[in-house]
Amino acid sequence: MVIATEIPILDEQSITETLRTKNIEIDLFITAIKEKVGYDLSGYARASIKRRIEQLVIDENVTCIAELIPKLLYSKECQANYINRLTVNVSELFRHPNSFLSLRKSVLPYLESFPRRDIWIAGCATGEEAYSMAILLEEVGLLNNTQIHATDINTEVLKQAKTGILTKGLNKDDAARYQASGGTSSLSNYFSTAYNKHKLSQHLLDHISFSHHNILQDKVFCSAQLVMCRNVMIYFDLNTQNSALALFHNSLVQNGYLVIGEKESLINSPLINLLKTIDEPAKIYQRKSSANV
Amino acid sequence: MSDFRVFIGGSAGSIAPIKTILSSLPTDFNLIITLIIHSSGDNNTSMIEAIASCCTLTVIEISDKEIVKPNTIYLAPGGYHLYVENINSYSLSVDKKEHYCRPAIDLLFTSAAETFGKHCIAILLSGANEDGTEGLLNVKRHGGLTIVQSPELSQVSIMPKIAIERGAATKVLSPKEISHLLLEYND
Repeated sequence: MVIATEIPILDEQSITETLRTKNIEIDLFITAIKEKVGYDLSGYARASIKRRIEQLVIDENVTCIAELIPKLLYSKECQANYINRLTVNVSELFRHPNSFLSLRKSVLPYLESFPRRDIWIAGCATGEEAYSMAILLEEVGLLNNTQIHATDINTEVLKQAKTGILTKGLNKDDAARYQASGGTSSLSNYFSTAYNKHKLSQHLLDHISFSHHNILQDKVFCSAQLVMCRNVMIYFDLNTQNSALALFHNSLVQNGYLVIGEKESLINSPLINLLKTIDEPAKIYQRKSSANV
Repeated sequence: MSDFRVFIGGSAGSIAPIKTILSSLPTDFNLIITLIIHSSGDNNTSMIEAIASCCTLTVIEISDKEIVKPNTIYLAPGGYHLYVENINSYSLSVDKKEHYCRPAIDLLFTSAAETFGKHCIAILLSGANEDGTEGLLNVKRHGGLTIVQSPELSQVSIMPKIAIERGAATKVLSPKEISHLLLEYND
């Protein structure tokens, strides 16, 4: 059965032309951001950055991407606002519990052998990943002498993360993920509640430092026994992912661990030879000592 | 590998028609198929097994920047939005839900429309949501083929009905007919 339709079907030439124009607009906008603000978004995955830019067009009530460019160039307020909206990532407590469970079993016993530990959470968004790590370390008795370095490119989310206050409160899904991560207490024990807000206990928060860091343009943030960067590299193109992975690898001490997102992969990275797989479904890898490379 | 690409979106009640469609495709079916089914899924394993058990093609859950191979069916992972990144690969995001869904069919279909144009075949199946219609409209605008499962034959007819009402369907077909049509493209 064929349905009559009123949807205008454009001829091939005008479709090609429209797509071409939009691509030029995106490139110009990205160039403007780079030249004016210094952030290079050219290595972002095209499909998702395009979607975010198109969302910005709708939110800003303009008719096309090109109209965002003068606003960006002439308004400081717009610059900060656009950057933050284009780079914001979401997070949640104990995301992908399987990875936390595996960390608890396979990685933390190894970290115990160090007198002091540094853990880098790259792309920490609103802090939940760092909070989860602090809770996990507390439960296995490793929080003392551990410093968690949580970094993000986005200044807005960092402000939020530093407060220790959960953006979405605590619900039963969080509790379930905590349990699935091998949690031995009750998640709410680690938060104080006031005015309907949940704030991470101060003695846990004291072990986390939040700093601004751009994975694509800045150097290694710290030397670490464990680097965790999950659901951040999905926003990068393949080349950029590989540079990010190289950065993480450089920051790891020999035999240090790397954790990436559950749907992220090392398959297309040259780094695959420099890392040993500890737990593939949990996406936990270990830097080989130079003797083994 | 054919220039044509197939994108199949479904929600509640879509596993049965998906099985019907895929079960008649031969091992050398040379159009890459991407499946997107609403699921928050921390665990898609049982869904993959169910789909894989009914067809001769390999079924893979997509990883970020997965590079496509011939004779393979790709399934969107639960909890992530899925886009076509370029003609050879996908990308994922955890941006906000659309129509209360992640993955959202609209986002995949729209990126497929813009990448594959007239070579895009988008199919919308049973479901209780308005997701998919906007994506089909974009496929249509870019010269692609849009197919909607007949509402009378859908376990949940809301999603197909909305798509048809808004003029997003080039063809309205039963799962068997969809399968026959796909075989015609397999040269």
